[in-house]
Amino acid sequence: MTTIVKNLTIKKGFGPGIVSSKVKSHANDPLVIKKVEEAEQTIQRVGLPGQKIK
Amino acid sequence: MNLERYVYFNSNDYQDYEFYSEGPKGRIRKLVTFTKITGAESPTYNLAFGDPHPDTGKLDDTVISNNQDRDIVLATVANTITEFCNHHGNHYIYAKGSSPSRTRLYQMGITGLWEEISMDFDVYGLKDNDWQKFKPNSINYEAFLVKRK
Repeated sequence: MTTIVKNLTIKKGFGPGIVSSKVKSHANDPLVIKKVEEAEQTIQRVGLPGQKIK
Repeated sequence: MNLERYVYFNSNDYQDYEFYSEGPKGRIRKLVTFTKITGAESPTYNLAFGDPHPDTGKLDDTVISNNQDRDIVLATVANTITEFCNHHGNHYIYAKGSSPSRTRLYQMGITGLWEEISMDFDVYGLKDNDWQKFKPNSINYEAFLVKRK
């Protein structure tokens, strides 16, 4: 007998997420803070695409 | 994009996202966090992606899962960018791996899905202090900027 397994966790194409109060902010995690600081330094140094840094 | 992606969950401010990678290593929780970068000429957000640390729960981007679902994971992260933009606007999103090899891994992932990604996003790679339009199978970039079209 053939068994069809339907994977409910994979979808095809864009779709909205499910809002959940269990999803907490990680903005203050040490690694995230470090990465944001590094990103700020890079953007200040090189600017954004098409932008000339004085 | 019409790629396979995982069902994902998000915070009510649409800045934090979670989903589960599924593969030979089991079910692994993944985190995506968007944080505003101050001082940029246009609004720009950093994208941090990783696993929760098993002890602290804090985001850790050094873990190598090897769960053989890279494309689905990347498509899910791309989907979170779209969802983020739907609620916060089409701003620049900055992403960089935890190491040059991890950044290279991101580049390989973008290259593998380039046909789909390039339909929805402008992608730039950082090389020698200059943002260049992303070219698949070219030089190794140091970081990426993504903006929804």
